Amino acid sequence: MDVKEISQGIFELSKGKKKQLATRNLNPGNSVYSEPLVVVDDVEYRRWDVHRSKFGAMILKKFNVPLNPESRVLYLGAASGTTVSHISDIATNGLIYAVEFSSRTMRDLVMLCEKRPNIVPVLADAGQPSHYSHIVEKVDVIFQDVSQPNQAEIAAKNAKAFLKKDGFLLLAIKARSIDTVANPKKIFKEEVKKVTNNFAVEFEILKRSELDPYHEDHLGILARLK
Amino acid sequence: MEITTWFGTIVTDKDRKISTKECSLCSKNPDSIARHIIDSRPSKASSLQIDLRSTALECGFVDSEEEYETLLRESAIKASKIQISNATTIDIRIIQAVEAIDDIDETTNLLSERLSEWYGMYFPELNLTSEDLAQFVAKHGSKSNLTQDNEWYSIANNSMGAELSGSEEKVIKDFATNLCNLYKNRKEIEDYIMENMEYAAPNLTNIAGALLGSRLISMTGSLERLASLPSSTIQVIGANKALFKHLRSRATSPKHGVIFNHPLIKNAPWWQRGKIARAFASKISLAARIDYYSGEVNDKLSINLDEKIQNIKNTYPYPPGKNKSKN
Ligand SMILES: C[S@@+](CC[C@H](N)C(=O)[O-])C[C@H]1O[C@@H](n2cnc3c(N)ncnc32)[C@H](O)[C@@H]1O
Repeated sequence: MDVKEISQGIFELSKGKKKQLATRNLNPGNSVYSEPLVVVDDVEYRRWDVHRSKFGAMILKKFNVPLNPESRVLYLGAASGTTVSHISDIATNGLIYAVEFSSRTMRDLVMLCEKRPNIVPVLADAGQPSHYSHIVEKVDVIFQDVSQPNQAEIAAKNAKAFLKKDGFLLLAIKARSIDTVANPKKIFKEEVKKVTNNFAVEFEILKRSELDPYHEDHLGILARLK
Repeated sequence: MEITTWFGTIVTDKDRKISTKECSLCSKNPDSIARHIIDSRPSKASSLQIDLRSTALECGFVDSEEEYETLLRESAIKASKIQISNATTIDIRIIQAVEAIDDIDETTNLLSERLSEWYGMYFPELNLTSEDLAQFVAKHGSKSNLTQDNEWYSIANNSMGAELSGSEEKVIKDFATNLCNLYKNRKEIEDYIMENMEYAAPNLTNIAGALLGSRLISMTGSLERLASLPSSTIQVIGANKALFKHLRSRATSPKHGVIFNHPLIKNAPWWQRGKIARAFASKISLAARIDYYSGEVNDKLSINLDEKIQNIKNTYPYPPGKNKSKN
């Protein structure tokens, strides 16, 4: 098995032609969502299932990843922590504020937080950033994967409140949560426009790409706050 | 100005400098910080003016960034746990019970069909079904155990069914016993729902009954949701697949909403049903709102509904089209 670090803390494990994305397990011996653990040269890696993680798919789509071990991250729509767990592997000395509004889902996320020293759970509505403004500090990166019709607005509000200048936004946009019948391409175009400057903040779009075949009708966006 | 942070209230002067003396900081205990996090949820983001981390250091709340992170994380975990526990409101618990009943119904249907096929080999003439069949098999096992005083005795004597005995009899009896227990458990769950609906939604229970009331809550997802729906929507809950949020795919979706199963509507003559349903739905909606927002019991609600229905009955005593005069 060959290991190549393709970005800080993100690895590509390869055996012959087979390649797999992975992160170094911060909590050795434990897998989070039944992903396989792979040990190479005494280091344990967790395979990153890109079909279950839009951010994982973005990496395969050659998005530059604005993460390092010190990163402070605000993650909106953390769900049970599939993707958050990999970010926690990467930002080992940083801190991740994981926002999720479903208390049922939060149950799993809290259990994950207890096992990892760099995740702070926040049970709140990402559409109301003031509700957690007493907890969350300024961050380097915002991840958002909430599947809501007003996802562009949610991203803008949170960026305005919490993103450092020149900080990055990684956004997954789901066409179907905006309009179930319209053409996804058209929706994406409008959403990108909205993100760029429709709300009180301005972004420079660095990369955009659809996330197929890993996620149908999803668009990934990497942007920098101006 | 006063700034709400997770570690207390920070006060700044005109020059945005922290006036340490006026600040009221939390005690450094994750339990009390967790309570503070929940109770002080800001409606305006005043803390964006300051850097939380350096402020906590500056005002002496923590001694290091490491301590900041540890304390914040521990307190946030505790706060989330409290919120999760509080979110388990009584209506949410009742929904689990309603869904458990649906699961039991599905399971008992499946198992009683199996029992009917299985036991049919040994006693095909026994035309009992579901709970009656299960109780019969659990009690008697083989038909050869029936005594003369049993109503099935002579039919059993002339049965074309095969012999049943030994380990074969035991497994079928155990199977039937399990089925009986499911039926029993279903009744217990129903009792639980009846008792708790009185607390969860007394007015709704008064108007619609505990079982229909709980079903409406389950189908919409919460009492809050039900209370937010217009009565025109309540009238069709159950008729529309999309509203079956919490039910697993059922074979067919009924044409009318679940409220049409209520005797008030079901037993009314067909030409009155639509009108009664409308009156019924509007009272249900009102009841759900009172339950959600005040929780006080309002007896007038059901009297009012009775009057309305009587009124409909008096106004439309005959089917439309038949040109009979009143009185
Ligand atoms: C597609 S899932 C996210 C999956 C996750 N990003 C991952 O890769 O592991 C979307 C999540 O966003 C949550 N969500 C939706 N709207 C939200 C909001 N306004 N605030 C917070 N969370 C929200 C949902 O409850 C759901 O858990």
